[in-house]
Formats: sequence, structure tokens, C-alpha cells
Amino acid sequence: MSDVPQRVAIVDYGTGNLYNVHRACQHVGLQAAITVSPEEVLAADGVLLPGVGSMPHAMAFLDETGLSDALRSVAERGTPLMGICLGMQMLMEQGSEFTRHQGLGILAGEIVRFPSRDGNGTELKVPHIGWNSVRRPSGKTEDPWRDTPLEATPDGEYMYFVHSYRVVPADPRISIGVTRYGGAEFCSAVARGNVFGCQFHPERSGPHGLRLYREFARRVEAWRQVAPR
Amino acid sequence: MITRIIPRLDVKGPNLVKGVHLEGLRVLGKPEAFARQYYEQGADELLFMDVVASLYGRNSLLELVERTADEIFIPLAVGGGLRSLDDIRGVLRAGADKVTLNTAAVRRPEFISEAARRFGSSTIVVSVEAIRRSDGSYEAYTDNGREKTGLDAVAWAVRAAELGAGELVVTSIDREGTGKGYDLDLTERIARAVPVPVIACGGAGTAEHVAQVLGTGAAAASLASLLHYNQARRYLAEPNQFSPEINVAHLQRPGFAKVQDIDLIQLKAYLTDRGFVSRPLVAHV
Amino acid sequence: MASPEVSEQLEVRYGLPREVKFCTRCVISNQRPNSTVEYQHTGDSKKETIRFDAEGVCDACRYAELKRTKIDWASRERQLVELCDRYRRHDGSYDCLLPGSGGKDSFYAAHVLKHKYGMHPLTVTWAPHMYTDWGWRNHQAWIHAGFDNYLCMPNGRVHRLLTRLAVENLFHPFQPFIFGQKALAPKMALLFDLPLVFYGENEAEYGNPLKDTNSALRGESYYSAENIADLHLGGTSVREVETSYGLDRNDLQPYLPANPNRLAERGVQVHYLGYYLRWHPQSCYYYAVEHGGFQASPERTTGTYSKYNSIDDKIDDFHYWTTYVKFGIGRATYDASQEIRSGDINREEGVALVRRFDGEWPERFAQQVFDYLSIGDKEFPVASRQFAQPVMDRQSFLKLADSFRSPHLWKREGGEWRLRHVVWDESSEAQ
Repeated sequence: MSDVPQRVAIVDYGTGNLYNVHRACQHVGLQAAITVSPEEVLAADGVLLPGVGSMPHAMAFLDETGLSDALRSVAERGTPLMGICLGMQMLMEQGSEFTRHQGLGILAGEIVRFPSRDGNGTELKVPHIGWNSVRRPSGKTEDPWRDTPLEATPDGEYMYFVHSYRVVPADPRISIGVTRYGGAEFCSAVARGNVFGCQFHPERSGPHGLRLYREFARRVEAWRQVAPR
Repeated sequence: MITRIIPRLDVKGPNLVKGVHLEGLRVLGKPEAFARQYYEQGADELLFMDVVASLYGRNSLLELVERTADEIFIPLAVGGGLRSLDDIRGVLRAGADKVTLNTAAVRRPEFISEAARRFGSSTIVVSVEAIRRSDGSYEAYTDNGREKTGLDAVAWAVRAAELGAGELVVTSIDREGTGKGYDLDLTERIARAVPVPVIACGGAGTAEHVAQVLGTGAAAASLASLLHYNQARRYLAEPNQFSPEINVAHLQRPGFAKVQDIDLIQLKAYLTDRGFVSRPLVAHV
Repeated sequence: MASPEVSEQLEVRYGLPREVKFCTRCVISNQRPNSTVEYQHTGDSKKETIRFDAEGVCDACRYAELKRTKIDWASRERQLVELCDRYRRHDGSYDCLLPGSGGKDSFYAAHVLKHKYGMHPLTVTWAPHMYTDWGWRNHQAWIHAGFDNYLCMPNGRVHRLLTRLAVENLFHPFQPFIFGQKALAPKMALLFDLPLVFYGENEAEYGNPLKDTNSALRGESYYSAENIADLHLGGTSVREVETSYGLDRNDLQPYLPANPNRLAERGVQVHYLGYYLRWHPQSCYYYAVEHGGFQASPERTTGTYSKYNSIDDKIDDFHYWTTYVKFGIGRATYDASQEIRSGDINREEGVALVRRFDGEWPERFAQQVFDYLSIGDKEFPVASRQFAQPVMDRQSFLKLADSFRSPHLWKREGGEWRLRHVVWDESSEAQ
């Protein structure tokens, strides 16, 4: 049993409001620290990659600071890693915002902008802003939310979104949550083992969002007990 | 249609205030208490405006924002007197997700771009407060409705969106506080002209008014009087929580004739029936 | 800062107090002149000013304190009910006369008299010099909320001439309005045989001696006089006005007071509703919006922050600019002081508002006002000869203004006029 104090790293890559992510962590009893240090990220029991903003700037910063490599190691090692909004998008391989830029490549897939018109030809307001329902995708034989931070969340629960891009995973198995906007469904949550991503902002999604943090905290604690030091 | 219902809390010092045409501000209670109620009643977001910020040249809501963010986990937009990137950073640090800009943006429109680049477009909301001119056009105002700009409000809104504002809050000063309904013409003109979401504000007196404005293309509706008077009645504030020199006589019977007596839960239920979907009511444990 | 020796050498005009002080509760200064009988107002008049007590609190704030704590409003209201019961008519006639502009205060007064106290008011309006668009709209909204109204508009040329005279001699463009505002109602009361006249607030609430607030009645000297020829209009005797300015007695009718004998015969009484009902201007605003569609001005009034106080006359901006010049007190000071006393704002905010807005040059209607004040020879063949510069323009107006600045209030600094004492800088307060 590890008696080293729990430590969750919140990666600060220069944009986005981290303070509310930090508050949500505190609220559920997670000891979290905002950091730009790859060492701290590697030593953490759990890692949060939050944010809003532009991918090229974010990726450039992560690459320069060595945080990209640290994050990839974390993903590989098995430490619980949660990407939020832009953070989720950066887990993917490829972005298309401004330039064809590389993401972290932890998950296979790309990032695509919402179209300016929906299926009926009506103008679609971008970014997608507001509360929307997150559901399990149809056609899954097993419960895709089991063993993920969404585990305790009722299906179809409403979460808060603000984004102009959506992820398109290369492997449909990692898409575990879908949401409808502009007449079509897009992937709003991804998971593969210890890596989880949500397009919405759980720290802004009221009590259900906090529950997601609580579930993440449970995973962090479980990992801390068994993790090799 | 997905929408958001956003209570707007105008704050002066420690108090929540409300006026008519942004004038004659009266104290209705404590903003933290009202914010908490609205959060629990299903508010999609909250908007805090510091109404004396331009008078004092600074935004004084940091403490309120911090206290709110510690307990309330929905998006929070904060405005009033934000003049520099540092001002914005300070408010975001305190817990705001978005900031609204008006005076600073009118004085130097490039500030919108600078702020959007630094903090992300979705963080930067431009607040357009307008009065209808006799020729049917609208003029934008700053300083809580006190100073004319000479700018056509619709043209200014288009420019603000082009410069990087992620959203616009559009307030009709003519309707604000009257309970006579939103200015549908103003809202529609701007909503049609810009590609970003428009939050309509100013004039809601009934649930039907809110449905109307959402039907004109506003992505979200903000409201104050419609909710605050009802709230003030339900939770009558103790007079001794206010400074003794402040007039609170109107709190004995808070209300305003043209404003319907409904709460946020009832309002959202009505809107859901009319096809406008927003954050559902959930239990707050 | 002036040293005590220097300040003793400064001239003090208008009989104002040499030392400038600011009320410790509101933001008014001790230079504020009390209401006077304008018929006696000449260039030599000495002003009575607002009193400050030993704690530095002004009479108006003391009165506000009384309003809040001591006055038995239930008893006052009973007196109003008794008064109304005595005069109320049940045969379809009017039973009281209500002078008003259609602003928030007169709206409240008319509405509450009619709907709460069961009276049948006839409203009467003395027109502003120059209606603002929104002022006119509010007047119409008032009528359409359900009141009969007689609007009296004085002869435009006479009004302009008297205004110009008042500006030249007293730097007081508002004076002709004040004459009519006080004189019209009693005369209409005689005309319509309505002895009961209600005004709204008592000006005493703003700083006239406290004893003036003890009565419901307006002093008769304000609106009646025995000997017309001795009265002064625009700081000029009626005799002189009729001799040298091409006006005759008939031209002056709207400005002359009623005959006191006739008023006494008929038992005309002028009451302040504000004596019986606790007056709160901000509450009147809400009342007027709620019940009658009153609309605040779409633009901030020059020289202040307010958008709903006294917004119907374009010359108002200039009126308050002249009080700023003569007494160092601008519109923001008046508005903020009133709102502090009512508990609508605190002193800190009041000070900030005065600092931001007081004394703002009234640009928005300036040219219209200068045109109004110009006495051209075609329209005024006789009067124009009396003026060295019959056409008023910005330059001549500013030059005239300078001749009314009291040295104990103003100094010249960097090519500009600056007040020696300002409420936001305590170190500038009087030595």
C-alpha cells in the first residue's frame, strides 16, 4: 500500500480556465496541482488535460516543454488520464484546425470542424454551446461506460459543451459516448483502458459533472494503490 | 431546439440590484443567495455584471466570483469594467469561464482580437446594449447605458464577431426591466447577421416572451426581472443584512406589475413543452 | 491650496459663505442657495444658503432622517384623507388642481390622487422652454394614462426675451419657467373654481430651512403679490421691462402672480402632497413606469448620470451649468445628494458620480439654446437695441459666464477654470 500522498497533475498549456478544473478536483477530494513540468506529470497518480483554445498553439507548447512525451508515457504506463474538451481532441492523432497539425497520437482518429449548415441546409451555429445529452452508442454488446469515469452517470445525462470541432475516432470501439447536434451524432466521449476523453466540461456540468470527477478520483486512488513506483 | 436560460445578476458592491432601462437601481438581495437558488433550479449558466465598474474604473466582483465558483459548477460569465488582458485573466482565475466586454471593446475594437487570441474566442463575449432610434435603427451604448457611441448596434455586432467574439449578449435598454418583452427586431437583426450565438437580454416579463425571442434565432435567453422579483418574494431578505443607509422599503413587497410571477423551474418546464430544450432539473446532493 | 491670508482677500459674490464645506452625509456644498421669491431677484440679491449643523450635516439630510425616523406618516396620510374628504365632489366636477409636467413625480401624484384617494384631479402643465422628444412623449403618455390636462404655452417671443434678460442679469435661464410654474396653478384654480391645489414634493426637502417642511402649504409670497410694477422679471423691474423692452402688461400675464385678495376670497390653498405622503423620487419612477408607461430619457442628461429626473426641457442642461458656474454645484451634485438621502446610493458612489459628471458642458442642445437666446432685430425691434450683443453665441455666452464666477469658488489654472474646492478631494476643502 502506498502512503505517498495522492497527486493529480493538471496540465497547463497556456490557455483555458484551469482553475475550475482545480476547484472540481478539490470538491471531490482530489489533491491536484496545476503544472507545466513533465516530471510532475510522470510522477502523478492521475493526469488531467483540460482546455479550450487552439490546437496548434497547445501542441507547440506541449512539444517544446516535453510534456507531449510525458503524456504519451503516462498513457502507456496505465496512469488514469482524462482529456477534457480541447484536451480530448489533443489525444487524437491529427488536427485540422488552421493547419494539419499533429495531436498527441495516443488515440487514433482526427479532428473535424462542425459544418456551417446542418443536414437540412439550415445554418448551424458554431461553436456548439450549451447543455446536451450524452448517450451510450447503439450496437454495443457490453456496457461501454463500465470502468470509465462515466460509470455512475445515467444514460442520456446532460453535460455542458462549448466547441467548434469534434473528434472522429478511427476505431469505433473507443467511441463510448455520442451526442446529437446539427441533425447528426458526434462522438462526445472516448475511452481506452486508462485513457478517457470527454468533449464536454464535467467541471461545468453541475452535480453530474462532479460525479464524473468523483469516478475519476476513484480510479486515481485505485491506481495509486497498485501502481509500480 | 437546444437553448440556454441564463439568469443575469447585476451587482453593485455586495448587493444584487435591478432597475428599469438600467436606471433607478434597487437592491433586491445578495447575489450569492440568488445564484445558488438559480443553480439548483436548473440555470444553464449565470451572468454577473458589475454595474458600477465603469464608474470606479475597475471590476469589483472577484470575491463574489470566487465564492460562487467554489459551490456552483455551471458556466459563469462575468462583465463590467474589464479593460485589459490582466483584468480578464484575474476574473478567469477567480472562477469565471467567460468575460463580457463592452466599453473597452468599443474604445479599442482590436482588444477583442487580442483577448480572443490570448484566451480563446469561446471565452470572449461582447455585450451590445442598444437603444432604438427614431428612424428604427439601433445605437450601441456603453457605461451601463449612460454613454452614446454613435455606432449602429447591428453593424457593431457584426464587427465584434468578426474580430473574434465567441458570443454576443444583446440587451435592449428600451425593454430592460419593463417586463414588456424582448426587442424581437433587435435580436433577430443581429442573430441573422452574425455566425456566433446570440444571447438575448432585456424585457422578459412572461414565459411566452422567452419562447418568442428564442424563436427569432437567439441561441439563448438571459433574464433578470422575471426571475429576481419572484426570488426576492420567496426568500424575503432580512433587512439587517444590508447597510443601514440603503433603502430597502420595496422589499416588503417585491414585484413589478408587468412581470409574471414564475420561477426558473416553471419557466424551463414551459419552454420544454414549447420545444426548447435546456439543462434538465437535477437533484443537487 | 490657498493659504488663509490669500483666501481672505478673495471676493465672495452673492452673499455666499466664504468657507466652502461639503455635507458629511450627502455631497451638497454649503453654497447651495435656498428657494427665493424670484420676483425680488436682482443682480444685487444676496443668497440664503443651505444650513449645516454642528456635525456638518445639511438640513436636507436632517429632513431625510426625520422622514425615515420621526414623522408619523400614518397620521399625515389621515390628514390627507380628511382633506380629500372635505373637497371631494360627487357630481362629476373636478375637485382639485394638479400642476405637473408628466414627469415621474406628477404622474405619481395624479394617479395616486385619482385611484387611491378617489379625487377628480384636473391637471395643468406649464410648458418647458423647449420640449425634448421624450419629455413630450411622457407628457402624452400621462394624458393617455387617464387624465384631463390643460397645457399652457406662453408667447414664444416674450418667453425668449425674458429668458435672455434672466441670463444677462442673473445668469439664470430657468427663471421664466419658474415664474409660470408657480403662478399658473393658483390662477387656474381661480379660473376653474378649484380652491384645492396639489403640488408634489416640497422644495424644502432639498435644503430650505427645516421649518419650511413643517407645513403642507406653500408660502403665499411665492405666488401672489399686491403691486405688480415693483416686481422684477429677469432681474429687471416690470416698469423697465414695459418701458425699454417693447413689452406691455398683456405680454407679461403668464408670469405675474395671482391677486392675493381674489385667492383669499376663494380660499385657494396650495398643498404639497409630499407633506402627506413620504416622497421617494426613485419610487415615483417605478410607479410611473408600471402604471403609465413613463420612459426614461434614452440619453444621459448632460452634467449628471440620471436619465429620469426632469428631462423635458432642453434648457435644463444650461440651467444646471449656470448653477455650476455661480455656486460650484452642478446637476450630478443635486441628483447624487438626493439619491444618497433616499438610500438609493451611498456617499462613495455619489462622490464618484460628481467627479465624473458635474459641470459637464451642455453641448447637445447648445446651438438650439443660443438661437433661442438670440434677440434679433426683426423679431424684437425694440428689445434688440438694449443688448450690446443681441445674437448669443458660444463665445459671448462663455464670456458672460465668467462675469458670474465668484473668485472664492473659482481659479484660473492652465488656461482653464477650476473649482478651488471639490467634494472628491478632501484636501481641497476650505481652510
